[in-house]
Amino acid sequence: MKRVNSSPRPGWKAFAESVGFNFHTFDGEPYWDESAYYQFSLAQIEQDLEDPTVQLHQMALDLVDDIVSSEEKLTQLAIPEPFWDAVLASWRAKEPHLYGRMDFSYNGKGPAKLLELNYDTPTSLYETGFFQWVWLEDMLMRGALPQGADQFNSLQDKLQQAFSELNLPQPFYFASVTESIEDKGTIDYLMDIALQAGVNCRYIELEQLGEIDGQLVDLDGFPIQGLFKLYPWEFMLREDFASTILTSQTRFIEPLWKCLLSNKGILPLLWQKYQGHPNLLPAFFDDASSLQNGWLRKPLLSREGANIELLTADGKLVKQDGPYNDSGYIRQQLAPLPQFDNNYTLIGSWVVGDSAAGIGIREDNSLITKDSSRFFPHIILD
Amino acid sequence: MSKTFKRSKTARLIMMVPAASLVLAGCGEKPVEVQVFNTPDECAAYYNPPAECQAAFAEAKALHPQVAPRYANRQECETDFGAGQCESAPVLAANSTEPVPQQSQASGGFFMPMMMGFMAGQMLNRGGMAGAPQQQTASANRSTVPNQPLYKSRDDRSTFRTATNTAVASQPGLASIKPSAVQPKPAAMARRGGFGAQAAARSSTSYGG
Repeated sequence: MKRVNSSPRPGWKAFAESVGFNFHTFDGEPYWDESAYYQFSLAQIEQDLEDPTVQLHQMALDLVDDIVSSEEKLTQLAIPEPFWDAVLASWRAKEPHLYGRMDFSYNGKGPAKLLELNYDTPTSLYETGFFQWVWLEDMLMRGALPQGADQFNSLQDKLQQAFSELNLPQPFYFASVTESIEDKGTIDYLMDIALQAGVNCRYIELEQLGEIDGQLVDLDGFPIQGLFKLYPWEFMLREDFASTILTSQTRFIEPLWKCLLSNKGILPLLWQKYQGHPNLLPAFFDDASSLQNGWLRKPLLSREGANIELLTADGKLVKQDGPYNDSGYIRQQLAPLPQFDNNYTLIGSWVVGDSAAGIGIREDNSLITKDSSRFFPHIILD
Repeated sequence: MSKTFKRSKTARLIMMVPAASLVLAGCGEKPVEVQVFNTPDECAAYYNPPAECQAAFAEAKALHPQVAPRYANRQECETDFGAGQCESAPVLAANSTEPVPQQSQASGGFFMPMMMGFMAGQMLNRGGMAGAPQQQTASANRSTVPNQPLYKSRDDRSTFRTATNTAVASQPGLASIKPSAVQPKPAAMARRGGFGAQAAARSSTSYGG
């Protein structure tokens, strides 16, 4: 695994915008960054990232069985009690899931360490599945990369296959928060893939979802039979329409049981069950005692690196403020992100259905990866 | 033996990439043929299978309380539809024809016009009327027009109108209409805005992660 400097393709920004990538730059700072790429060996990809991804995914699924039947664990994960039965029913009915992403600390040697699961509303999908793929093909065509260079990225193929096999109710709706350009980009990408898989897709702004007599309805008042929601379950369970989730005959993607795995509380539960597993870090529910060197604390429910606090091995405090200070916390042993040319590098490893589907790489100037962290492409070359 | 790649075979986009060839719904929409009748008996008299007439009528009748225009009182309704042409409207479930039991129709409820006819959008035209063979092969051969109730306004008793006041025919029998103009919509009012509050409160660029 190494970081290789590379010349950005001339005119790539205009091209990006022509293919719907409207969030390649954030607040004047680059988000998509092709001034470098990461290079892996095939063995690193397959043995250190792909195989552990599949294994950890199965371990997490096995854990769901334990959680749904344990009031203690449901309480530890802060699942509101009125939804316990519905979570259980959703799991027992084997409601199918589409995708997830796990984040790893990995430096090219030794086992990748699982930092967390993003199993409800994972993003950076378009950048990984499409734009990174196009970058590789483009660079190969220009002769700017050695022939034979490959990429661990079957994300779009696998998503299209999943959409064609999920047997979704139709029309099938996609919803995201109105004001988020980034989320709309992700939704557009998913709808495009679903459309190619033959799904009759419709978009509705999340805030425009309606309710009539316990059913979620579209803008015309018709019941929504199937809904992909790019909005976290933990929010939905605490908002005005929460009770509608219990009565509406809507099939959700991701299904309700995914709220168990998108929760940081899954990390201490994984450690309890599989203590010592090479890809897991010691993790515990927070007891509010002071943090020790080489540990970090993060909320059960948070995203984009918000509200994380860590102490490095030599006692340096790194902290990221944010709007997620209203749930419980876990603590996890620190597996500091590796540094390449003074950047801290995080690997997001995708799961579609139950298969590993590729990686996306984020870089930040700090140990905490955030929504503004830059996205870099990668190649496989032995 | 061919090399196995770790990446997608293709990654194309069809919607995010603007294309001039995209077909827009409603633009140049082709009209389809439907039939409109006052009663199922009249429908059967037009060489239609009586059972299908009865089924189409039943579907329209079931849809009637869901889609009929609603008025706060009888006078307003009769202003539009004529004296004695209105009835009380049940409290609605969105996808059910069953009135909600505990809130009776009398409890300061709404009024709606009586159903005066029905549109059969999905009936196979076996009775020798025009158009049957073509229906089997045309690209839009699956009719997109639901069977639905029709109404007649106070000042125009001959014209059949949909619940959303689209005039569809001035006599029973065949009518040619654009499907998008006659899609029934529930009259019940939806509550909205029940999701998204935390997005507004937390103000982030993304609600994924």
